[in-house]
Amino acid sequence: MLLADVAQVIRSKNAGPRRLTLDVMFATDADYQRVAQSPALAREQIAALYRVPPEHVTVIPYPVGRAIKVVLARPIMAGDPGDFDVYGAQQHAPLLTVEI
Amino acid sequence: MSASARIRDLLRRTRRPMRLVGASGQLGYGVPTPAFEAALARQPDLIGADMGSIDIGPTYLGKGEMATAPAATRRDLRKLLHGARRLDVPLVIGSAGSAGAAPHLDATLALVREIARSDGLHFRLGVLRSDIPRPLLAQAVRDGRVHGIDDMPALTEQDVRDAAHIVGQMGMGPFRRALAEGVDVIIAGRACDTAIFAALPTMLDFPTGLAVHMAKIIECASLCCVPGGRDSILATLDDEGFELESMNPERRATPTSVAAHSLYEQADPFTVYEPEGRLDLAGAQYRAVDDRRTRVSGARWEMSGDPCVKIEGASRIGERAVLLAGAADPRFISGHRDILAAVSEVVRELVCEDQPQDYTLRFRVYGVDGVRMAAPAQEHAPGEVFVMGECIAPSAERAAEVVRTCKQYLLHHGYPGRLSTAGNLAFPFTPPEVSLGPAYRFSVYHLLHVADPDALFPLELETV
Repeated sequence: MLLADVAQVIRSKNAGPRRLTLDVMFATDADYQRVAQSPALAREQIAALYRVPPEHVTVIPYPVGRAIKVVLARPIMAGDPGDFDVYGAQQHAPLLTVEI
Repeated sequence: MSASARIRDLLRRTRRPMRLVGASGQLGYGVPTPAFEAALARQPDLIGADMGSIDIGPTYLGKGEMATAPAATRRDLRKLLHGARRLDVPLVIGSAGSAGAAPHLDATLALVREIARSDGLHFRLGVLRSDIPRPLLAQAVRDGRVHGIDDMPALTEQDVRDAAHIVGQMGMGPFRRALAEGVDVIIAGRACDTAIFAALPTMLDFPTGLAVHMAKIIECASLCCVPGGRDSILATLDDEGFELESMNPERRATPTSVAAHSLYEQADPFTVYEPEGRLDLAGAQYRAVDDRRTRVSGARWEMSGDPCVKIEGASRIGERAVLLAGAADPRFISGHRDILAAVSEVVRELVCEDQPQDYTLRFRVYGVDGVRMAAPAQEHAPGEVFVMGECIAPSAERAAEVVRTCKQYLLHHGYPGRLSTAGNLAFPFTPPEVSLGPAYRFSVYHLLHVADPDALFPLELETV
């Protein structure tokens, strides 16, 4: 099953101009548990998906919000020459097709 | 008696729960009237709105321009001023004019004075400025009291000199000073969005953790609801917690939607750092009051022994011009990397015949890899692509020269296997080259450690 089929929200946004934060949110505790317990959103998997070193990735489970947060160091600071997404709002796309 | 003095007296006397309205998450993009009027009908004790963010990028800060349209900004300000004056409650607006530096604040103040004059409104105005004096910051750099945020490189005195504008995010202290002086309206430069709402309740001895947590949620108006939206939100704060209710009956604040809001644009959902301390949300609890109201409790506040101010600055890096064009030829699309590299070289040879390369020229190919930070290497070729060429050069004339030359040689570039010898590009309109004015980058994104952060943000009082 794909993450897009089990999650209720999959989104990305800047957390300050040097960090990108990806939120995956679920409609039920069961959906949350299923993804939280799978290795699909482990740090190494995210790093490979976004082609960044694992040490630039933080994964934070947030059960009270039925959500998993991923924080990435932006390869380019928001608004610097060469930036491709100043708000960081479209960097969620690679997560949609992650296999759970 | 000023609105701030009246509300302080009233709340001190009655010790009843306090009602605060988050009128808009970004003033200047429209405040829906039905929800705002519904909020006023609940007799709030304070109306607040955030007006800015760092998310919009460095150019507004650098250039001193608002991101919002003047007419829409005037309409929103008028709505809030009239609402607050009608109820005689404080109106608090932070991060004026999108970025909060002197030109943004002054443009906002000009709108406020103009509205007051034309509508016959009279009030006591407190203005809080947030520009960080360069000599003070240069001294702090020399003293080692400035540190980069999120691996930002160390600040230099050159950076301090070069930045077009440098602002600091004020915390609750400057707002409290204004509220204690007795004001009806506060317009602040760059400010922590929480301080707009948390300053008054913490003056009245409501618990700081609860007040700051409440502020962090209502500064985004009804974004914490399902469905999320920009309608005004009402928070009712007491000594044990606060209750949230959207003023649009179709938006529900549920325990999960409110808890999930702590994720929004934050790297850490359990901690919020403020100049005076940190908000600890690890023990926060969310309980449904009914199907569209949620009660929140449990946030804790820890004072910091080392106060610091987040500072932001943008410096000009040149003038920007872009080329906008599409393409639908499969051979052009499959060969675009080589084609763009070859055309860049042709352009360089032409425009650098009598001077050095003093510009950068980049392309983004939408449909292929224009958006994603890591596009997969193997994807089906798209049927169409959009090509954006971006030049940053020392002058507008130079940037325009580069993109115009680029347009002509990309249009007619003869690549191996080319069939479409009349032109490689589809222009949606002409001219397809656009000059975008000065380009900026964030050169300051640091913490300034300072013994008395509040002293950085002077208060000016004015009778309007």
